[in-house]
Amino acid sequence: MSGPAPEIVLVVDDEPQIHRFLGPALAAAGYEPLRAETAREGLRLAAARGPACVLLDLGLPDMDGKEALARLRAFSAVPVIVVSARDREAEKVAALDAGADDYVDKPFGLAELLARIRAAARRALRAGKAEPVLRTGPLQVDLEHRLARVAGVALHLTPREWELLAMLARDAGKVVTGQRLLTAIWGEAHKADTQYLRVYVGQLRQKLGEAGRLLRTEPGVGYRLLAEDRGDDRGEGSPAASPRPVPG
Amino acid sequence: MTEPPRPDPDALLALAAEGRGRLKVFLGAAPGVGKTVQMLAEGRRLLAAGTDVLVGLVETHGRAETEAAIGPLPVLPRRAVPYRGQALAEFDLDAALARRPAVLLLDELAHSNAPGSRHPKRWQDVEELRDAGIEVWTTMNVQHLEGLSDTVARVTGIRVAETVPDRVLREADAVALVDIPPAELLERLRQGRIYRPDQAERALRGFFREGSLAALREMALRRTAERVDADVTGWMRRNAVAGPWPVGDRVLVLIPGGAEAEAVLHHARRIADALRAPLLALHVERPGGTGDPAPGLRLAEDLGAEAEVVAAADLPAAVLAHARARNVSHIVLGRGRPARWRRLLGRTLIGALARRAADFTLHVVAGPPPATRRPAAPRRALPGWLGLAAVPALVAAATLVCLGLDGTVPDASFGMVYLVAVVALAAWLGPAHAAAGAALSFAAWNFLFLPPRYTLVIASAQDVLGAVVFGVVAALLSGTTGRLGRSVRAAAARLAALRRLSALARRLNAQSSMPELQGAIAEAARQAAGCPACLLLPLDAALQSVFGADLAPPDAPPGASGPPEPVLRAASPADAVPDEAAMAAARWALANGREAGRGTATLPATPWRFLPLRAAREEGEAVIGLLGLLPGQAGRGMDDPEADRTLDALLDQAAVALERARLAELGARRRARGEAEALRTALLTSLGHDLRTPLTAIRGAAETLRTVGAALPEATRADLLATVEEEATRLARWMTAIIDMVRLESGELQARREPVDPAGALREAAARAGHAYPGRAVRVAAPPGLPAPMLDPVLLDRVLENLLDNALKYSGPSGTVLAEARREGAWVSFSVEDDGPGIPPAALPQVFAPFFRAARADRVAAGSGLGLAICRGLVTAMGGTIAAESPVRDGHGTRVTARFPA
Repeated sequence: MSGPAPEIVLVVDDEPQIHRFLGPALAAAGYEPLRAETAREGLRLAAARGPACVLLDLGLPDMDGKEALARLRAFSAVPVIVVSARDREAEKVAALDAGADDYVDKPFGLAELLARIRAAARRALRAGKAEPVLRTGPLQVDLEHRLARVAGVALHLTPREWELLAMLARDAGKVVTGQRLLTAIWGEAHKADTQYLRVYVGQLRQKLGEAGRLLRTEPGVGYRLLAEDRGDDRGEGSPAASPRPVPG
Repeated sequence: MTEPPRPDPDALLALAAEGRGRLKVFLGAAPGVGKTVQMLAEGRRLLAAGTDVLVGLVETHGRAETEAAIGPLPVLPRRAVPYRGQALAEFDLDAALARRPAVLLLDELAHSNAPGSRHPKRWQDVEELRDAGIEVWTTMNVQHLEGLSDTVARVTGIRVAETVPDRVLREADAVALVDIPPAELLERLRQGRIYRPDQAERALRGFFREGSLAALREMALRRTAERVDADVTGWMRRNAVAGPWPVGDRVLVLIPGGAEAEAVLHHARRIADALRAPLLALHVERPGGTGDPAPGLRLAEDLGAEAEVVAAADLPAAVLAHARARNVSHIVLGRGRPARWRRLLGRTLIGALARRAADFTLHVVAGPPPATRRPAAPRRALPGWLGLAAVPALVAAATLVCLGLDGTVPDASFGMVYLVAVVALAAWLGPAHAAAGAALSFAAWNFLFLPPRYTLVIASAQDVLGAVVFGVVAALLSGTTGRLGRSVRAAAARLAALRRLSALARRLNAQSSMPELQGAIAEAARQAAGCPACLLLPLDAALQSVFGADLAPPDAPPGASGPPEPVLRAASPADAVPDEAAMAAARWALANGREAGRGTATLPATPWRFLPLRAAREEGEAVIGLLGLLPGQAGRGMDDPEADRTLDALLDQAAVALERARLAELGARRRARGEAEALRTALLTSLGHDLRTPLTAIRGAAETLRTVGAALPEATRADLLATVEEEATRLARWMTAIIDMVRLESGELQARREPVDPAGALREAAARAGHAYPGRAVRVAAPPGLPAPMLDPVLLDRVLENLLDNALKYSGPSGTVLAEARREGAWVSFSVEDDGPGIPPAALPQVFAPFFRAARADRVAAGSGLGLAICRGLVTAMGGTIAAESPVRDGHGTRVTARFPA
């Protein structure tokens, strides 16, 4: 429990039993939990309290999850992690495209949730600084000079491969939906041609070599470039340890 | 001498269109001309060219020449048929069908099969082979043609028993004439190359007289020539070559009732053939008409005529109207046996037609030779002796009346009394009896009452006038009354038939379930035919209605895999069950869509007769079942035309009713499948949500306790543990609900029946509900002395628990719940009422649907969405009803009431 004031995590869920265990768990991890049972309440608290992260349940009684996201995005760039009992990919993709940063499926593990919260908060910090060079694990992506290095060795990438890597790097740690990648790189007409992506991601993974493991597939949703800060917060680290992300 | 086998484009087209095998007939004038040898020689040529030729059966008659002609051709083994202690070697139809050669050679088309075979005649075997797509070559002598049998009998003095319908030859794709001059044939016969010497001797006295042979040869030549001519004309027409063929000739033959029909029809067929004109056949049904037209109609169809029956009183007018309507040019009719007076007055049909049918050619056919004339069967309802006895009896009665009145009225008025007797005879027994009665009456009156009495002399001119007037009036009255009586009887019979039909339609429409309908059809068939009847359906359809499950895909065409198997579905009386032998006929009838069994061309030795039920389906007309009839020894129900008509109508109506029931069942099953589908979807959604939320809470609470539990305050730890416990309970409840729902849906739930105290049950459930929601009270109102309905106490408790739980959940933390048991007439009702927000009227009808949830604006954790659906299922299983009302208290609140028979 270090730092001046604990960061606020807003939990928007209509199931009281979720709050009953998330409250103590978040508090123990060093955050200040904020509870909302409807979307309206959640939006009000998000505006009033400026949380560091929002956990949003998609099955809310008063408002569609996507609509709540759109309204939130109108005034805030706060990282949003979607929590849903429904494991339907289409819904997740829609939420991500509507501005969510990440998602977890119910029933989720607490450690995993806390790791996602940390990653999202860190990304938010970095976004503010607009870094031209991303470092994650052995991979270094220089967006300004269009250069990628793995352990110091420059990679030879085709223009498409570069665009793919750059898009993932800009949102490192975040899930980028397949549709978004396809639309941005291949154009609107090809947004359903997921086999392009599979082929290019495969090629890119090969060229990345030992950094290939950082390029994760989120089945049915999209891809994610893991943001590793010298490997310090991977895996099942204790939620109590290092609650505050260290800027890279 | 023979025409080479040539492709007939029409036949080829027909072959491509319906897959029917070609037929080639080797036609000869007499035995021994070399038909079989010729056929075998051509078969060998075809075999050498690589075609799959098979000899189905060849009669060598011990002739070495024929034996040698078989040569390398494969021969199908014959089938041994036991018949009266000896084994007959017959053609094996099933083996031929199974072997499926390209061309099958089958000798002697006119052959009659051994009794017990599938078809009585070989030409019927050939039809089936052709239906199966096998090309058949066969041989035949011209005297076996049905249409020539009269002529042949006249020429040779021998009536041929084995005949082949003319249409078989007419429909043949090729006819090859095998011809040698009569002198040469006789020479061969004398050399013993045709028959053994003893048979040859007999043959020389019969067929093989030179004159007979010449006549037969001429017939064969002419038949073939007509065919060739028809082929050429057909070819010219197809190719639009202008030519001198007769245009629009149509021959109409009048089918008389009785024995004359045969000769008339054969003659008409020959005329139509000679004119190459289509043949139409007409039977006019008249009040009092004599003779059964059914055999004539059947023969007409066998001869390829288009047969029709019309009902009319004025025979000539009906004939002319029909002839004009059908654009007929020739009318063929028999001489008939009109009454002498008609002949004298020229009032015969022939006379009338001759006068009125100036635009038609009339052909009057000679009557059949007297030897073949059969006496017309008496068709009176009353026995003949009764009619004969009635005449003197009525006259005697009239005489007695007159004797009683003698002296009180003038003698001349006795005529009136006798008139009554004559009119009565005319009305009941017809004009002949009336005439006899009139004569007898006149004699009695004259003898007993007209002066001078006890003589047959009439003295006064006044009495003579009276007698003449009596005669004229009696004649007129008897004629008119007789006709009237017949018309009335015919009308009554028709009315009765109509009534039977509409009763049948009503009965079939009234059946709600498939088994009931099937039973009603069998019952109706028994009544209509007057003999035991049964209903058979193809196996797949039967299975579907027996198990109600999709053992076979419902949309698959029947018999997609193998021939359909008929299964007995209903019998009337119940023991009218066809045996295995009869089922063979049923199978054939179902597979071929034609009648089989007794009185038909297929397996006629079977006691049962099977009639196909046809219905229109998307894929075309289909045979959907069979009606089986077991006619008695007398054959009642087979040849009665009125019963036939009723049976025909029954077949149509039964098929329609069965088809409708099948469609209704299909629809119901599709609907049920749709509902099951909706339930599955809802179940999946529920699994997604209701299973995961408690699991998430349990997992999260446990994980928090494990990882940071030590650092948490005591109260928080207790709350997390409570969360785990409560969520586990919730999961268990939810699972019970799902299992209940599945059991209800599958109909597995069985309700017990025992008297239940309504007040006690309600109090118990309310107490438990109050415990589950601490701080909430349920008010119970149950008057004493309620009757104890027969219910399942466990299921009732489940219903009440669900209703109370719902009410407590939706009425909010401060809401009140009222549970009430009441008597409502013959019902006992349980109602649970809350003062929550209520249910919107639009949503009210759906509250009992699975997974329906009211809006959760009250922020209370909702249940599984199955509660009310389960309640409805349980209440229905116990014979009760359930309903919801909202709002119940000034704009809010919900009341759910379950009612059970007290």
